[in-house]
Amino acid sequence: MEPSSRLARIQLNKATISFDDRFTLSEIDWIIEPYQHWVITGTNGSGKSALAAALAGVGKIEAGTIQGLPKNIGLVSFEAQAELIAKELKKDDADIMDVISLGTPVNEMIFEQCQDPELASELVEKFGLTKLLDRAFRKLSTGETRKVMLIRALSSKPDLLILDEPFDGLDVDTLAMLQAHLASIIDTVPMVMVLNRFDEMPDFITHIAYLDKQRLEKKRGDKKRGDSGRLAFTVDRQDEAAFNELYQLLHLKTTDLSLPEADPANKLPALDPSQPLVKLKQATIQYGDTVIVDKLDWTIEQGQHWQLSGPNGSGKTCVLSLITGDHPQCYTNDIFVFGFQRGNGESIWQIKQFIGYVSTALQWEYRVSTSCKNVIISGFYDSIGVYTKSTDHQKKIADQWLELLGMKDRADQPFNKLSYGDQRLLLIARAMVKHPPLLILDEPCLGLDDMNRQLVLALIEKICAGKETTVLYVNHHTEDKIKEIDNHLALEKNH
Amino acid sequence: MANYFNTLPLREQLAQLAKCRFMYSSEFADGVEALKGKKMVVIGCGAQGLNQGLNLRDSGLDVSYALRPEAIEQKRQSWKNATENGFVVGTYEELIPTADVVLNLTPDKQHTSVVKAVMPLMKEGACLSYSHGFNIVEEGMKIREDLTVIMVAPKCPGSEVRAEYVRGFGVPTLIAVHEANDPKGEGLALAKAYAVGTGGHKAGVLMSSFIAEVKSDLMGEQTILCGMLQTGSILCFDKMIEEGIEPGYASKLIQYGWENITEALKYGGVTNMLDRLSNPAKIKAFDLAEELKDIMRPLYNKHQDDIMSGHFSHTMMEDWANDDANLHKWRAETAETNFEKTPAADVEITEQEYFDNGILMVAMVKAGVELAFETMTAAGIIAESAYYESLHETPLIANTIARKKLYEMNATISDTAEYGCYLYNHACVPLLADFMKGIKSDVIGKGLDLDDNGVDNARLIEVNDALRAHPVEAVGSVLRGHMADMKKIV
Repeated sequence: MEPSSRLARIQLNKATISFDDRFTLSEIDWIIEPYQHWVITGTNGSGKSALAAALAGVGKIEAGTIQGLPKNIGLVSFEAQAELIAKELKKDDADIMDVISLGTPVNEMIFEQCQDPELASELVEKFGLTKLLDRAFRKLSTGETRKVMLIRALSSKPDLLILDEPFDGLDVDTLAMLQAHLASIIDTVPMVMVLNRFDEMPDFITHIAYLDKQRLEKKRGDKKRGDSGRLAFTVDRQDEAAFNELYQLLHLKTTDLSLPEADPANKLPALDPSQPLVKLKQATIQYGDTVIVDKLDWTIEQGQHWQLSGPNGSGKTCVLSLITGDHPQCYTNDIFVFGFQRGNGESIWQIKQFIGYVSTALQWEYRVSTSCKNVIISGFYDSIGVYTKSTDHQKKIADQWLELLGMKDRADQPFNKLSYGDQRLLLIARAMVKHPPLLILDEPCLGLDDMNRQLVLALIEKICAGKETTVLYVNHHTEDKIKEIDNHLALEKNH
Repeated sequence: MANYFNTLPLREQLAQLAKCRFMYSSEFADGVEALKGKKMVVIGCGAQGLNQGLNLRDSGLDVSYALRPEAIEQKRQSWKNATENGFVVGTYEELIPTADVVLNLTPDKQHTSVVKAVMPLMKEGACLSYSHGFNIVEEGMKIREDLTVIMVAPKCPGSEVRAEYVRGFGVPTLIAVHEANDPKGEGLALAKAYAVGTGGHKAGVLMSSFIAEVKSDLMGEQTILCGMLQTGSILCFDKMIEEGIEPGYASKLIQYGWENITEALKYGGVTNMLDRLSNPAKIKAFDLAEELKDIMRPLYNKHQDDIMSGHFSHTMMEDWANDDANLHKWRAETAETNFEKTPAADVEITEQEYFDNGILMVAMVKAGVELAFETMTAAGIIAESAYYESLHETPLIANTIARKKLYEMNATISDTAEYGCYLYNHACVPLLADFMKGIKSDVIGKGLDLDDNGVDNARLIEVNDALRAHPVEAVGSVLRGHMADMKKIV
C-alpha cells in the first residue's frame, strides 16, 4: 500500500508535561516517524500511560513542545475506558425521572461516530459482540467494554492509534484476532502501544521507548509533589543486541520472582548477632610515605546497608579490600570481620565465605573460559572458575538464577563471549548465590550503558529488599541510588 | 662439598630417580594443620619468596621475612616488597632463631652462602625448605642432622603462584623430603601442609625426590623447554628472512607461534598438536620431527649425561665463581639475534594459521618433547617426572616468549636454566645447519601449497599410530586426566 502523505512526523521537544501536579514527564525528546510502530514500556510508575495519554492531548505542557500530532487519534486505555463508563453512569444519575435508564446501548456507542461502519460490523462479529449490540454499554463486563473501545478506535479511521495495554483481559482467541487485525493495518496508521508484558509485543513493532521513574529534587517554594518520569532510552527493533537486553530488563522488572535459596548443604557458620559484621579501628593504608587511608574507624552492623563514596584515589577500593582480606595490609591493621580478629591464624577463605563481591576489577580478573552457569556456581566456592565438583543442588540453584536473570538459554555459553552488562549481571548472581551476610558492590554500574545500569539496579533492589544480606554499595553516580540504603560514608582524598 | 648424587650407590641413585607419584586429594585432608602456629621465616623476597609468603599467610600461617642487614638499611626492593605487604621483616639473627621452618627462596647460586649463614642460627629440630634441590644434590650441601629438609616447588613463576591462589586454585607443585635429613619423620607432613598453604594441592601435587627433581628439571629446561625454543626461534626466523617472508610477520609467527601450538600440546599432548594440522602437513611434520630426532639425539644424550655426571653443574659453578662471565656474554649475544631485534608486525594471524604456517615449529616441539622424554626415562628418571619436565612445562615457557620473546623467557627462568639453555643453543644451531639448508617456506612461513589435501591411507595410519604409541602420550593422558579432574570446569 502506498503510504499516504497525511501522516507527519510527531516530535516531542524537551516536553515537560504535568498531570494534576502529581506526576510529571520531564524533558521528553522523542520523534515518531510515519509508519513507525512503538511500544512504550518501562519501570512501574515511570509514566508509560501518561506518555501515551500525552499524545492524545492529556496533561499540561509546562515546557518544550509537542508537534505534528494528528487530529484524529484513536485511543484505547483504562483511563479512557473508565472515563466513558463514568460518563454513562452520570447519565443515569442525571435522570431525574422515576424510570429506569438503560443507558446508551452498545450499538450506539459503536456506530454513533463511526467512520467505517463496514469495518465496525466486521469487528463486532469477530469480537463476538453481535448479541450484545442492544445491551447497555454500562452493563458490559470490563472485557466487553474494552472490546467496544477497541472497535470504536479502530473504525474511526485514525491517523494515530494509541493502545494502552490493549491485550489486557482479552481471551486467547480475541487476542490472536486483534493481533492479526493490527498487523493488517500497519501500513495505514502508526501505532503507539503501552505494554508491560514484553512477550505480548507484536512482531510489527519497530521501536521501543523505555521510561524510567525519577524522584524530583524538592526545591523550596516548589509546589510540585510526587514523581516524574523520563524517557531513558529508545531501542530500534533492528538492533538485536539492544533488544535482547531490553527483554531481559523487562523480565527482571516485571516478574515477581523471589531470589533462589542458598545451598542448604553449604551452610555458613552462624554469626553472633550482637557483634558487628565489620569493625575497622584506625585503619591505615600506606605505601612508603604515601598515606591512602588515614585512621579510619568504621563499623558495619548486621542489616545496616551502607553506601561508600569518595573521589578517585580516596581509597574506596583499598578500604573494601581490607574487609575482604585482599589487601596485604589487612594484617597490620586492627580489623574485626565476621567474628575474626584478623591475623590470628584465620584463612582468607574463612573470611570470604561471608562475603559476596562484585567489582569491575573482578570482571577483568574473571578471565577463565567457563560457562555462564559455572560462573554462578563459582560463587559457592569464592573462586574464579570452578575447581571442585559441584552438586546437583548447586547446579539447580544456578539454573534458578539464570532464569531470574532471563539468561536461561545462555547457561552453557562461554562467559567471556557475553556482553559486558550480561557478565556483570552474572557476577552479581555469583556474589549472591550463597546469600552472603555481606554483599559488597564496588561500582557495580561502572562502564555499563543506561539499559544495563537499569538492569543491575533492578537486581540490587531485589536483593536489598530481602533482609538477610547487608549491602555495602560503592559508587559516585548520584543517580544510581538504592532506596533501602541510608548509611553513608564519604572518603576524602588524603594525598 | 662433593656432588651428593655421585656419593650414592647406583641402586640408591636409581631408586631416587624413580620417585615420582601423583598424590590423591585425600592425602591433603589435614590441610595446613602441621604448620599451624609455627613460625615460618622466608629468606629471599623475590617473586617466589613474596608470592609464596602471601599465600601462606592468607592460609592462616605465620610468615615473616629475614633479610640481610644491608637490604634493610638501604631499604632495597626486597625490603619494600616485604614491608609494603605488611610482613614482619628482620635480620637473620633476629628471626632465624625463632623459626620453626626456614624457607630458602633465594636463587640457586646464593644457596650455599645463605644456608651456611642460617644453619648455625636455626633452632634444634627446625625445618629447612628448598624450592629446588640443586644445592643439596649438585653442590652436596650437608645440613645439620637435627634439621628436617624438605622441598616444595610450585611449577610456575611466582606471579602465577599468587594469581592462581587468589582465584581459589593453585599451581601444580612438586614436593620431596631429603631422606638423609628427616630425623623426626615429619618431613612429608610439613611438605604437604606447605603445599596446601600455597594452594598447590588444588592443582595437583607430585611427590618426588630431591634427586629426581634436580636431574629431570635440569634436563628439561636445558633441552626442550628453553634450549629448543631458543634454537628454533633463531633458525626459523633466519630461514623465513632468507625465503623472503616479511620480517614483521616472521617475528610474530614465532613469538606467538610457540604459545599457540603448545596450547594444543597442553590439552591433548603431541597427538593433538599434530592433529591440528591438515593430513599432508601432519605427515610432513612427522617426517621432519623424525629427521630432527635422529640429528639431535646425541646432543640430548650429552646433556643428560653431563647432568647425571655432575659435569654440567661443575662447569656452571665455575662460571659462578667467575662472576657469571659466560652467562652475561651469552645473554648479550641473544639480545643481538635477528629474531630478538625484529619487532612483530601488527598483522592478524589466526590461531590455525600458526599451525598451518609453522609446520617446522610443530616438528621441533614434537622432536624436542619426545627426545627429552626418551632421554630422561632412559637415564632412569620415571615417566611421570619426565612428562612434567618436558611436555607439561613447554606451554608455560612458550607463554614467556609470547610476552617479550627470548629476553622474557631468559629473564623469567632461573640463571641455571638460562645457562643450560645457552649451552644447548650453541651446540644445536650448528648441528642443524645442514638440515636447515633443505628447509623452504612451505614448512615455515607460508604453509604447504597443495592443490589437493589427499594422502596415502596406509601412510596416514602409520603416522597416527606412531604418534599415539609414543610413551609420553600414555603417561600424559593419565596425568592430564588427574589434572582435569582437579581443574574440572564441570
